[in-house]
Amino acid sequence: MSAPLHVACVMDGNGRWAEQRHLPRTAGHRAAESAVIDVIEASRTAGVRWLSLYAFSTENWRRPDDEIDFLMGLVRRTLRKHALSMCARGIRCRFLGVSDPRIPVGLARDMADLMELTRDNSGMTLTIAFDHGGRRDIVEAARALIRERVPADEVDERSFAAHLPCPDTPDVDLVIRTSGEQRISNFMLWQVAYAEWVFPEMLWPDFRAEHFLECLRAYRKRERRFGDVRSPTPMVKGSR
Amino acid sequence: MTADATATDPDLSLLGPGSMLHGYCHEVRWGMAVVRATVLEAAHPQIGAALVENSTFVAHPWRRVFNTLGSVQRILDADPEVRDREADRLNRMHHRISGTDEHGRSYSAMDPDARAWVVASLFESTVELNRMSGLSMNGPAMERLYAEFRAFLSVLEGDADHLPATSAEFWPYFDDMIVRGLENTEAMRIILFELFGRMPAPPLLRGHPAFWAASRVMAGPVIAEFLKASLPDALRRRAGLGETPGSQILARGVYLGTGVASRLLPPAWTRTDTVVGLLDPTRADGPGGQLLTTLRRQQARAAALLRLLTPLASERSASEGSAARSAERFFAEVLDQTGDGYVSWPDLAAMAREVASRLDLDADAEERLFDAFAAWWRELASALDADRDGRVSREEYAGAASSLASPALVAVAEVLFDTADTDGDQTISAEEYKALFRTAFPRTPPAPRDGAAHDATPAGAGVRNGDASYSRSRFIREFLDFMAGRRASAGYDSLLSQP
Repeated sequence: MSAPLHVACVMDGNGRWAEQRHLPRTAGHRAAESAVIDVIEASRTAGVRWLSLYAFSTENWRRPDDEIDFLMGLVRRTLRKHALSMCARGIRCRFLGVSDPRIPVGLARDMADLMELTRDNSGMTLTIAFDHGGRRDIVEAARALIRERVPADEVDERSFAAHLPCPDTPDVDLVIRTSGEQRISNFMLWQVAYAEWVFPEMLWPDFRAEHFLECLRAYRKRERRFGDVRSPTPMVKGSR
Repeated sequence: MTADATATDPDLSLLGPGSMLHGYCHEVRWGMAVVRATVLEAAHPQIGAALVENSTFVAHPWRRVFNTLGSVQRILDADPEVRDREADRLNRMHHRISGTDEHGRSYSAMDPDARAWVVASLFESTVELNRMSGLSMNGPAMERLYAEFRAFLSVLEGDADHLPATSAEFWPYFDDMIVRGLENTEAMRIILFELFGRMPAPPLLRGHPAFWAASRVMAGPVIAEFLKASLPDALRRRAGLGETPGSQILARGVYLGTGVASRLLPPAWTRTDTVVGLLDPTRADGPGGQLLTTLRRQQARAAALLRLLTPLASERSASEGSAARSAERFFAEVLDQTGDGYVSWPDLAAMAREVASRLDLDADAEERLFDAFAAWWRELASALDADRDGRVSREEYAGAASSLASPALVAVAEVLFDTADTDGDQTISAEEYKALFRTAFPRTPPAPRDGAAHDATPAGAGVRNGDASYSRSRFIREFLDFMAGRRASAGYDSLLSQP
């Protein structure tokens, strides 16, 4: 049984993870790093060709300044720490979003550098949604169409999708949102149209390769049921 | 030198992209020849005096190296118009450099003998580079190279009469100059004994003072020793430069090593553009960066990797730290362009020169710019030079720094705006801004949350959508803020305080 082509993770629960341990919220973000690395490695070995991670949304700017500053520094350090190993593993790294002027220049430069460094890699494509908003992407695509003066009749789903940022990204097959929250939160709205969602109760810092593989198994099971016309099973609840 | 000038008139078509010189100035190892030639030039009394009094190479060596390289590449451009324009610019620049040295002898950067010596020392150093790398040039190649260098001189001078007509006549001239023409000048001593010991970090490593200081401590003396050992024996003896045991072997080893490296490494790695782009990311797409796309890609990737692997600087690096800087630091980083601890006309002239070459100004605009800076200097001198010694010391400046935002400085800002506003629409567009500062527009964050820190925007960062432009008043206000030392700015720092 083959793996889903495109898996996305909404990495939720860092703050709660820290609060449960009476630690500052920043400790939760720090603990998230190993989950990220674990999931990247697990999806690569499971044969997932596209992995997307929701790291920071356009709404996250409303968080306290201290936490934002910490996050920016953390992302930068993590990115630099793993840049070489991403490149060595043949992973193509991309950032989706990244347009807010509040992003520190050093971080923006490092992101651009990582993309440049790994752009010709042919292994898995890792898309990190940073300062991302699904609606904004759709608005961007609409703007691009208008700017190009594409006649209304010629706009269809395919041509519209071609104007989204990172247009070569295929539809998402499976979205994993940790911590039990069941919301879309403005994440890759266009691409998740037909996605399966699973909502493990686990908080993101505790999420590991085995949980990821469990989600993949749940996805496969669902797909099998989906094809079964005699007993169509409504898909309401997550994997746990 | 020869009576029959027409017979030896150099052929300008020798220059251009097919020339040997063009090949050399795109090879990194030629840099060693250039540095050695600089020592030989500095030993010439006229050039040495001009260097000590006017040049910014001690305080801003990297900028000077990169600018010189760009200049040479433009002179070798396939388009004669580009070449002549650059020659005119250089001549205007040199025309402004003249004065009297410490012994009361007058000097001028337009002196034909001195200019011939600059070209002669470059030629000799190039030949020497090849010989020491184990690949001596054959007769015809040397003859051709010499002809090219003479053509180079005649682009600047209009003729090459101050250089011997053939390479066979060149060597007696060169030996004679070494014995009779050169001296142990202050400029030469500065290069040999001080420059490498206090070399500021290249832009890439500016955020890592500890790392740079450590490498400099190790590499500085070796480079200086290498340089000394590679000078002609006669000059070393005359200048009383001692010889450390083993330095000859060192020199030979370095030459051989670089020769081998340039043969073994991928060509993209040993190209000057690649290295300049690495050392100074803001210049990666500047003039001379027209590489084939594949080379570009390799270069971009190598640069990206290097930047990602360079350890992170401490949070308060030069451009991202606090926006306000102390008057002392501003004095050292911006005003004192020659690095001698005083501000005088050569410092301000160096600023004007930098702006003029960035914007590739024509003669009129350049004249206006220099006039504005000169007026500012007169005002500075009368306001700040308390002891009337013709220069402003650090203390004098710190005592009265606030009076810097004066009418003459506003005039400088006005001229700067006019010259940068190339299409004359009374606003500075994103392109015009980039031409002046080699960096994108500063991004203004919507919330005032530590807004100042984000004003420092390096190249490659996004410009606010569409409406980005500078009005005259905003431009002048920012320039005054910067010049009064009230505020750091990525743009002006890249223009004036880059090492």
